[in-house]
Amino acid sequence: MKKLAFIALAIALAAFVAVPLIGQTAAQKANLAASLKIDTSKLLSADNQLLLAPSTDNRKVPKRPADPNKLPETDPLHWYDMEWAGWNVKPTNIPKSPMTGAIGKKVIFIVHGDHPWTTACILGAQKVADAYQMEFKALSPNWDKVVQDQMIDQAIAEKPDMILLIPLDAKGAVQQARKINQAKIPLHLFNMLPDAAALNYSLGWTGPDDFGQFRLLARAWADELRKRNPGAKSIGVAYVQHAPGGSPFFARSFGPISELAGYAKEIKTLVAASPTPATFDANTTMQLVSDWITKYGDDLKGICASDDSAQALGIFEALEKAGRNDIVVVAAGNSKQGMDLVKDGKLFGITYQTAEGDGALSVQYAADWFNGKKLAVRQNLAQHIITAEDVEGFYPPQW
Amino acid sequence: MSDNRGPAPDGATDGAATAQADTRSVKTGSLSSLVNTAGVYGIALLFLVLGAVLQFTGAIGNFLSPQNLLNIVDAVALVGIVAVGMSFVTYSGNYADMSVPTTMGLTGYICIELLRYGFIPAIIGAIGVSLLIGVLNGFVVGKFKANPIIWTLAVNYVTMGIIRLVWVNKQIYPDMKGSSPDVVALFDAIYRLRFFKLIGLPLVILILLVVIGQFVLTKTSFGVKLKLTGSAPKAAKLSGIPIETVIMTSFVLAAFTAAIAGLAVTSLSRVGAWYNGAGYDFKAVTAIVIGGMTLAGGRGTILGVLGGSLIIGILNNIMTLIGIGTFSQDMVRGAIFILVVGINAKSLRSLGRDDA
Repeated sequence: MKKLAFIALAIALAAFVAVPLIGQTAAQKANLAASLKIDTSKLLSADNQLLLAPSTDNRKVPKRPADPNKLPETDPLHWYDMEWAGWNVKPTNIPKSPMTGAIGKKVIFIVHGDHPWTTACILGAQKVADAYQMEFKALSPNWDKVVQDQMIDQAIAEKPDMILLIPLDAKGAVQQARKINQAKIPLHLFNMLPDAAALNYSLGWTGPDDFGQFRLLARAWADELRKRNPGAKSIGVAYVQHAPGGSPFFARSFGPISELAGYAKEIKTLVAASPTPATFDANTTMQLVSDWITKYGDDLKGICASDDSAQALGIFEALEKAGRNDIVVVAAGNSKQGMDLVKDGKLFGITYQTAEGDGALSVQYAADWFNGKKLAVRQNLAQHIITAEDVEGFYPPQW
Repeated sequence: MSDNRGPAPDGATDGAATAQADTRSVKTGSLSSLVNTAGVYGIALLFLVLGAVLQFTGAIGNFLSPQNLLNIVDAVALVGIVAVGMSFVTYSGNYADMSVPTTMGLTGYICIELLRYGFIPAIIGAIGVSLLIGVLNGFVVGKFKANPIIWTLAVNYVTMGIIRLVWVNKQIYPDMKGSSPDVVALFDAIYRLRFFKLIGLPLVILILLVVIGQFVLTKTSFGVKLKLTGSAPKAAKLSGIPIETVIMTSFVLAAFTAAIAGLAVTSLSRVGAWYNGAGYDFKAVTAIVIGGMTLAGGRGTILGVLGGSLIIGILNNIMTLIGIGTFSQDMVRGAIFILVVGINAKSLRSLGRDDA
């Protein structure tokens, strides 16, 4: 009798545990099926471009040199660890996809700071999150690393299904990523490339391929420089650099420098400098470029800027004061000021830097992971150079 | 500090002795005398001579060309405008107005928003709002003796928050807000208008502000009251000077010049953005201190502040022409800053004119 009672109790207990599990699995399967049917490929950003335009970069990842730092800065492989960061990660304690569907998942989206770009980035992320009916929460530490650390603690305490993070500091990102990883919360990093070790703890990385974009821009720039200076044996150019230290500082000057060393050897770098003490102040850039015109005179034929708004406007003020309209200027874009300058025939070309697409791609990556899709560890945003020929198609600007 | 007073005259009491003429010995080195005679313009001249020598030795080219010299003054015009106004705050003994960056940013936003009503209303509205910030700063610092740095920094953050809240953290553009292309063109011209195709409007405004500022500081009763408020506030109060009003006026003047510079920066960058005035607070303080105005208040000239701005411009120019890299420029700038301020302070002490 006792034996029968024990068996009955065991069966009841097993049913108590198993029935909800079986039910949950069925619900999850339905959720997955519904999630997989959602199509985000037709979503548009404010500039009427596809929000999730596929990357057109078909380059193969080269083999890492034994010591890239031993190569000269004009060798593209010198920049290997920056340009190809993310491709050679050592996944550590990376969770497997639950394959339960993206619908209803809670994601916490932590950016770097308040800026019109960030507003557009969050908007793009929200569009994809809405499409998947995700619970989406955006946090901004306003460029304060300590506040970002606190926000990460807060996010971990909320136990979301995933944390998406733009790390404020490349080195600090390692500790942040490890912390999230140890809390067993899936992490996805995007936009800013962190120190390679941080990527070991992340599902993947999405964002702009700054080096790739600037290699593309460099070739278009070189073609135009050759067109305007036919047969010239030496064409002097200058680089207005980004704020020192960050990856754009290197990608937006040494990217084109190393590209042109192979593609257009006659193009010589005269100078590369960051406007100081204010990197993105038009007035400071104007003084810098005016001084370059004084120093290099007619030898200066081209300028490549890290920013198509304040820096580009400062450059053109200097050029107009000096009466120089022969200098070919290109820049990282695509702000309204930059696109206006392209439309006016002043700026020759700018890179397409979609802020909405950046946020959108990161959330799409998260959705694809919940949906159990096989994902590359790194996904770049689509590359494109905007020139006078197609600039009209990128209005109105995203920010 | 050692007591260098000579012996009291025979029969004089201690009290009488203190009423005697100050006979402290003054050891003046040739450098101190030179600095004090030539002032900050002497240092600026030294930099110009350095540039000329470098040009003649072939190290740099075209330093003395009119275009290059014009570039230098053009580049410091905006910082100079901010510094002239802020120097009244410094002179009043309240160090600096750290709310300048967002005052500049807010001015740009307000002006662009109001361009739909025309150019003049937009300018008046933008400057008016900035003056309100000046009134608030001056009232709190003057009336409640709030620490000026902490208070104005707080106002800077609050204003930044208001901008982000009202404009949802977005930038605004004059050509999307202006009532007509002519209005937008006028706004565009604030920075770009050039007299005789050479001299920019900001430079003309700077020169006007320097002339008016120097006059106000040295030739008006407000200037005298400001000097006494800055150097001896208790004595000023006992003398019946309304120091609260004087301090408030100095902050209003700082806000006014910040508004002018804010309009120029916004016109130059063709966008209303909260970060438009970033860094102008520290740049202005640098110009003020290099220009010989003491942060303790009550001492210095507006002409000196102009000289300080010029020194910064010449130094930046020479460094770029030589080809000093980005990283090294900051070090050189800092070293020169310490050197110039050090020489100034030493010479003033040597002459018994400063015990700061």
